[in-house]
Amino acid sequence: MITFEHVGKRYPGGTQALSDVNFELAGGEMAFLVGHSGAGKSTLLRLIALLERPSRGQVLFEGRNIGRISSRQIPRLRRRIGVIFQDHKLLSDRKVFDNVALPLMIAGHGWSGIRRRVHAALDQVGLLDKQNMRIPTLSGGEQQRVGIARAMVGKPPVLLADEPTGNLDPALSAELMQLFCTLNELGTTVLIATHDLALVHRLGRRTLVLEGGSMIRDGTVDATDSSSDPAGSMGARQGSRT
Amino acid sequence: MSRRLSRMRADVRSWSRRHGYSLLSSIGSLVRHPLNSLLTIAVLALALALPLGLYMALDNLRQVNQNLERLDSLSVFLHIELDEANARRLGSRISAWESVLAVDPISPEAGMRELSGAIGLPKASGSNSATAERPDLGLAEVGLPWVLEITPADRTSLDTLSGRLDELEEVDLVVIDLDWVRRLDALLAIFLRLVEIMAVVFALTVLFVISNNIRTEVQQRREEIEVLAMVGATPGYIRRPFLYAGLWMGLAGALLAWLLVVAGLWLLGGPVGELAASYATPIMLAWPSPNLVGGLLAGSGLLGIIGAWIAVSHQLLRINP
Ligand SMILES: Nc1ncnc2c1ncn2[C@@H]1O[C@H](COP(=O)(O)OP(=O)(O)OP(=O)(O)O)[C@@H](O)[C@H]1O
Ligand SMILES: [Mg+2]
Repeated sequence: MITFEHVGKRYPGGTQALSDVNFELAGGEMAFLVGHSGAGKSTLLRLIALLERPSRGQVLFEGRNIGRISSRQIPRLRRRIGVIFQDHKLLSDRKVFDNVALPLMIAGHGWSGIRRRVHAALDQVGLLDKQNMRIPTLSGGEQQRVGIARAMVGKPPVLLADEPTGNLDPALSAELMQLFCTLNELGTTVLIATHDLALVHRLGRRTLVLEGGSMIRDGTVDATDSSSDPAGSMGARQGSRT
Repeated sequence: MSRRLSRMRADVRSWSRRHGYSLLSSIGSLVRHPLNSLLTIAVLALALALPLGLYMALDNLRQVNQNLERLDSLSVFLHIELDEANARRLGSRISAWESVLAVDPISPEAGMRELSGAIGLPKASGSNSATAERPDLGLAEVGLPWVLEITPADRTSLDTLSGRLDELEEVDLVVIDLDWVRRLDALLAIFLRLVEIMAVVFALTVLFVISNNIRTEVQQRREEIEVLAMVGATPGYIRRPFLYAGLWMGLAGALLAWLLVVAGLWLLGGPVGELAASYATPIMLAWPSPNLVGGLLAGSGLLGIIGAWIAVSHQLLRINP
């Protein structure tokens, strides 16, 4: 579904955010992306959604080199990918409902269908009773959940999540991770960038580890296997950072 | 086959829905900043009302001018010693000419009455230079000749006709007292050109005002545009509400301009009616024709769309989502 081949990304400022990244994510797979702050997690996700273009190598989406597609085709590609942004990217002057409805309106769905699907998505993230509130009146965690609802409302085949549980309490983040797992079981390909290592361990899924722009590990971890804990060093780094 | 057809129908449906959402969104943004929208619409209305108002003034003046043209005539002053019988005989002779529509002989007494009425003197007593040396002498004593008021059959032959009349030995002087009508014609032509230039200038004004307004609107909604692009909106989709907003502004400006001009004409109706009454010619003020109003609305709306297009495309390039 998603293939990175020798991908490098250098920002105009000169920052080398990614260098020689290789991995493949099969359709229907679910994986975590971990790494310390500034390791390039957001950059990697942005490359998939074509919010940035790679400066080296190629990113394949469904077999097509998306670094090469014309800008006319970008919207169609983006509609097949639901993205949960680290900074939410919600429309602050609109109601919760309108924010979640956005992808469906863009796709030209009928009003009754939009209502039904938005309600379902808001219900899944536990915000159905807040659908008429404006974004600034929501808590950080609630805003994040609105972003999640918006990403999944259009039932895209691929879901990219950048720190989707950053502002949530442990119970709620466990619940939302469960939601991602459920979506994955229904066939959605899911890639989640996160700092929540405990959760990553507990779920025991495939984990990609970035450090300084390079992918230093790619494998499955589970909570009992501490010797091969790919995020062990990460955890220490995180601890010292804060 | 039928599946293909139903898919096409679904495509059309979702296309029209997308347009519907854009339409609502454009109205929403106008309503969300009512003062801003009202001010812009007022500026547009003023910019459009000025050329439209001048054009209507011109249109009405031209009509008045046409009424005046029907009053075209030549005043033929006969020699002072010619008596009534000769004057009338000459009159009927001239009236047989093909280029002459009517001849109206005016006696010295009638001329006197008309003259004193026109000057506004109660007894037409000496205030012109000829009688200044003899203040006791009234105009009547100076004496007026018989005058033939001649209405030409066709206005273009005015010059040849006056030449021919001049050659008659009974004739002292031929006066074409309508030079000012011709000058008015020329003035009106200049005026029309001026209105045309102004129309172009103010059309550009409309374009710039709307373009500038949409540009700030786009800047204010920069974040929204980015988000829309991120969740898969096409540039067309992003552009559309702004184009609608430009269209609304153009249409509203034109509508308000039309109302302003109609109000102006209505206010002018009273004084113009009085003037018309004094000339004994009923002058009806012309209102903007449906074609003109339609053209104004369509033109202004189109300018709105073009102005918005320029602004949004420029901004979309800069934001490059
Ligand atoms: N738009 C940009 N222009 C220039 N440099 C950038 C840009 N975005 C990110 N970077 C740089 O690229 C590097 C990787 O950033 P990125 O956002 O991918 O990190 P991250 O792993 O998501 O970090 P975090 O966990 O804090 O979100 C950083 O050094 C950052 O400064
Ligand atoms: Mg990040």
